[in-house]
Amino acid sequence: MNGMQLFFRLIQISLLSSMQYRANFIAGILGVLFWNVINLGLIGVLVTKFTHLKDWTVWELVFLYSLWILGHSLYGLFFSHTSELENYLIEGSFDQFLLRPASPLIQLLGGELQYNEIANALIGLTGISLAYAQLDLQWNGWKWGFLFVAVISGSIIELGINLLVACSAFWTGRSRGTSFIVNQFYSLVHQYPIDIFGTAFRVIVTGLIPVAFMNYYPALFLLDKMNRNSPGWWLSYMSPLVALLLIGIVAIVWRLALNRYSSSGS
Amino acid sequence: MKIFWSFTRQAFQFISAYRFNFFMEFILTILRMYGIYWVWRILYTQKPGAFGVSLEQMVTYGVMGMVLELFIWSRPQWYMATQVKSGAIDTDLMKPLDFHVHMLARSTGEALIGIGVLAIPALIVAYLFLDVQFPPDMWVALMFAVSIVLGFLVFFHLNFLLGSLAVVALDIRHINWAYFSLVRFLGGQIVPLWLFPPVVAAIAEVLPFKGTYYIPISIYIGRFSGVDTIRAIGFQIVWLIVLVLTSRMLWGWAHRRLVVQGG
Repeated sequence: MNGMQLFFRLIQISLLSSMQYRANFIAGILGVLFWNVINLGLIGVLVTKFTHLKDWTVWELVFLYSLWILGHSLYGLFFSHTSELENYLIEGSFDQFLLRPASPLIQLLGGELQYNEIANALIGLTGISLAYAQLDLQWNGWKWGFLFVAVISGSIIELGINLLVACSAFWTGRSRGTSFIVNQFYSLVHQYPIDIFGTAFRVIVTGLIPVAFMNYYPALFLLDKMNRNSPGWWLSYMSPLVALLLIGIVAIVWRLALNRYSSSGS
Repeated sequence: MKIFWSFTRQAFQFISAYRFNFFMEFILTILRMYGIYWVWRILYTQKPGAFGVSLEQMVTYGVMGMVLELFIWSRPQWYMATQVKSGAIDTDLMKPLDFHVHMLARSTGEALIGIGVLAIPALIVAYLFLDVQFPPDMWVALMFAVSIVLGFLVFFHLNFLLGSLAVVALDIRHINWAYFSLVRFLGGQIVPLWLFPPVVAAIAEVLPFKGTYYIPISIYIGRFSGVDTIRAIGFQIVWLIVLVLTSRMLWGWAHRRLVVQGG
């Protein structure tokens, strides 16, 4: 069985097991839908009062929100359990991964399907469609292609960042605290255009935790908000490259981490 | 009363064992305060007239919403849900203290440590860097103190009600998620009720949620006049009584239906 086959087999098992608890399945989906409605409601309340946030109109904000949630839902659907790595290390159950005749990384990635992310994906698709109609956008094939690439890149970027955070547990034993902080950056970038914040914040979410490449930068291009005279205009195209770069860094860090790993022995 | 405080102390000690988590929680709050600070500033420069209050008041409102969260953050429903799931709830029921009071004691301990370790340092940062105001006078400060204690109790009981449901529903993770967004929204943690569209505002005005964030913070920034302050505190008290009674009833019902798994 090769890596891909194994990955999908693990996913299939997880889906079957979660379908056993049907009430929970439905509650999960409703919970996610509700959470999104409230979030969007807040943006709605703000913008009915103020018509726009800096130079972002309501529907541009909805687009920004939806682009992020779409990339996130892809990540969340397949990989959200990767943050559990810390627990595997502490409990010593990571040892199983090393004993089985398959790549430990594939085994980690293929752990679980977080089905309620489907609700996020629906919200993302609906949001983007509505925004597209309301903003009267006329995209050519390139832009549609770029949207697709941006969403995929977004999910890879989130996976990359979260894997790097999770891997830090190989050195420090704990990664949860760091991941809470990273999540807070996510939620700010998710809901607000980063140009309303100070420079320090923008530098962090561009260079250090490159989460702005999940929605803000591609949205600048997709919504024709790019200003070619400003020094960083090319960042709008960089999401795929950032995603590739992160994959490279994860590969190196993962290798270093495995070399370093010593079991907790429990 | 002595037993109450011993359970409070227990919660206190439990949390102090996780110092690192607390440090992280602190950083998180700073980030949240920073976020809301910029949102209100930008919106204010755009349209100063739309707020009905000054920029300083608005920023103070936003930042206080994040700080208050640290005070009322205790989550008895988590504890109840885990205990029911693992079956360890029977040891709680054997304790020489009414379960409802026991939960309140735990939450009080958590709230006290939340104030001491997180909220006060966060407030100092806010005063120093984010143009947050002090309450206009001593009377307002006093009323604010009364109001946050009531806010804590209202929030505790809402949580306790949800926790009682966990006895029957077993898994409340997802319901809980939706519930928190609801409290944040209708409680006015981020956007105050006076900025809501009229229909939504009318609904939020009568529900207990506004007793958690909106009332204490509005008092703090001096948005309410003397009479309104008293009326708002009265609103919190009335809802608190209703919630206490409902909690007793719902817990009594859930307790009878409780099936302890052979944990």
